[in-house]
Amino acid sequence: MTAAANRSWKSSVRARVRKHAWLYLLGLPGMLILLFFNYLPMGSLIMAFEDYDPWKGLLHSPFVGLKHFQRLFNDSKFYLMLWNTLKISFFSLITFPAPIILALLLNEVRSGAYKKTIQTAVYLPHFLSWTIVVSLTFFLLSSEQGLVNKIIVSGGGKARRFLFDKSIIYLIIVIQSVWKGIGWGSIVYLAAIAGIDQGLYEAARIDGANKLQSILHITLPCILPTIAVMLILKMGSIISVDFEQVLLMTNPLVKEKLEVFEVYIYQNGVKSGSTQFSYTTAIGMFKSVVSTILVVVTNRIVSSNGMKGIM
Amino acid sequence: MVGKIEAPKKAGRLGMKASETIYQVFIGLILALIAATMILPFLYVIVISFTDSSVYVSGSFYLWPSKWSTEAYRLILRGSGFLNALRASCFITFMGTPINVCANAGLAYMLSKDDLFGGKVINRLVMFTMLFGAGMIPNFINIRNLGLINSWFANILPSACGAWTVMVMKSFFSELPTDIEEAAEIDGCGTLRMFFQIVLPLSLAMLATFTLFALVSYWNCYFSAIMYLTDTRKMPLQVYLQKIVLSTDISEVVDIQDDLRNKVPQEVMRMASLVVVVFPILCIYPFMQKYFAKGVMVGAVKG
Repeated sequence: MTAAANRSWKSSVRARVRKHAWLYLLGLPGMLILLFFNYLPMGSLIMAFEDYDPWKGLLHSPFVGLKHFQRLFNDSKFYLMLWNTLKISFFSLITFPAPIILALLLNEVRSGAYKKTIQTAVYLPHFLSWTIVVSLTFFLLSSEQGLVNKIIVSGGGKARRFLFDKSIIYLIIVIQSVWKGIGWGSIVYLAAIAGIDQGLYEAARIDGANKLQSILHITLPCILPTIAVMLILKMGSIISVDFEQVLLMTNPLVKEKLEVFEVYIYQNGVKSGSTQFSYTTAIGMFKSVVSTILVVVTNRIVSSNGMKGIM
Repeated sequence: MVGKIEAPKKAGRLGMKASETIYQVFIGLILALIAATMILPFLYVIVISFTDSSVYVSGSFYLWPSKWSTEAYRLILRGSGFLNALRASCFITFMGTPINVCANAGLAYMLSKDDLFGGKVINRLVMFTMLFGAGMIPNFINIRNLGLINSWFANILPSACGAWTVMVMKSFFSELPTDIEEAAEIDGCGTLRMFFQIVLPLSLAMLATFTLFALVSYWNCYFSAIMYLTDTRKMPLQVYLQKIVLSTDISEVVDIQDDLRNKVPQEVMRMASLVVVVFPILCIYPFMQKYFAKGVMVGAVKG
């Protein structure tokens, strides 16, 4: 590139930037927030490769290479956390059809007012915090004051300590998640169903198809692309759990079942000071990288099948 | 079941109708059952929270208390524990929401212009934050380095601009009819005036939706509070509720001079505090439903 061309390129850039100066100003707050709170922390990831010493700072702490990652892969706790995460994800995968079934049911309702009332009720839990959901769970299931145990006791039974029971803690977690997410999750399927050509149903009815046949042979095939996209996207988050939920449901008796990456990082990194910063950063980085790979791969699969992913 | 709802081929119009009614009632009942699981826990908590201590202590299981009382609410609403938490939640919510909506909408509008220099790169950088996060410890150190520990802005700013919101708003802005903007531009309307006087008024439903989402997410803020706030008196309502539900002696959390244990059973106090914390959400929920029912969110979920 000659000097003159370079100069004219520069001036054209300047002209283009100046033309949109106010536009950049509008976007500036958002860009600054992303820069300061999403990109700046990435610098601290160096910690995962050094023995971080707060007195020496990020740049002068001794560099140790992959030491923390080696420790990670030799740590039996790591495999426990990975296994727990996968188990919780697996159980939530089983409940994947729940919102689809809800959408199919809602779609069968003739009365618009009734449908709306039901929708109002089932969308509500999505807007509640995990603190509220977990508190409600305690009110229902706690050992002495819980409603369920009161019913059991008044029926002559013996109170059970549901919240401290290792064998059913995953069940409780999954029920909570379904309760919170089923209504909101059904919206995307309702939208897909609304897009189906009504003529198909008309034709099927004339051919003598009953309701169930219409659902199986028209509705489900028509929303199959949406189901596929949602399923693939769900696979992308298989290494992530709802951390606030798990943290709030943890107690010493079920701890080993609910030990997942974020809970460990929070309890050993943030709470116990800077001595574990490097190791817990390494754990977090492992999780971030794996989940990024999963999201990218699943999005590739979605878009290569001619469907629209999030990218 | 299927056999029952299927109309026999010989049946006339009347039989068809009857089976359709049975089918509708059947579907309606299943849905009512599902909806009941969402509503009944709240009703239970509300009823108990208004139950008089003497009735609750008598220990019998009941659906409708024989004596009502607002004692639990009076104790909670007077306690400094609640007032401190309310102040924190109000600051985070009402300070955070405008910042959140302005930052997202401004960035989204900027990115909705195709001919913007650097727009593609910035777009990529915004999307990347959706894919990769630095993690809990780097975020914590970052907040500490920025001097935001124990500041409510640590609960507001990190979530004030989100890639997903920006992308949805951006696609909304780029679908606005361009001729209005072009006409305004010819009339000499500047970028800022265009944004505030033409584009934003055209996007009110979308802005209302995201305003309500921001309100809810700041009101529900829990983890960033226990992570970044150190002063217990600065903790928002969600932390207050969690402490009340978990602690064995709640008089310390409620923080009031009277000796609570003699007045109202702890479980009643706990339920009353849940009602207080969830009340604002229940109040704005009908408005939210109005907006996301309009399809704004459906388009968003579809991507």
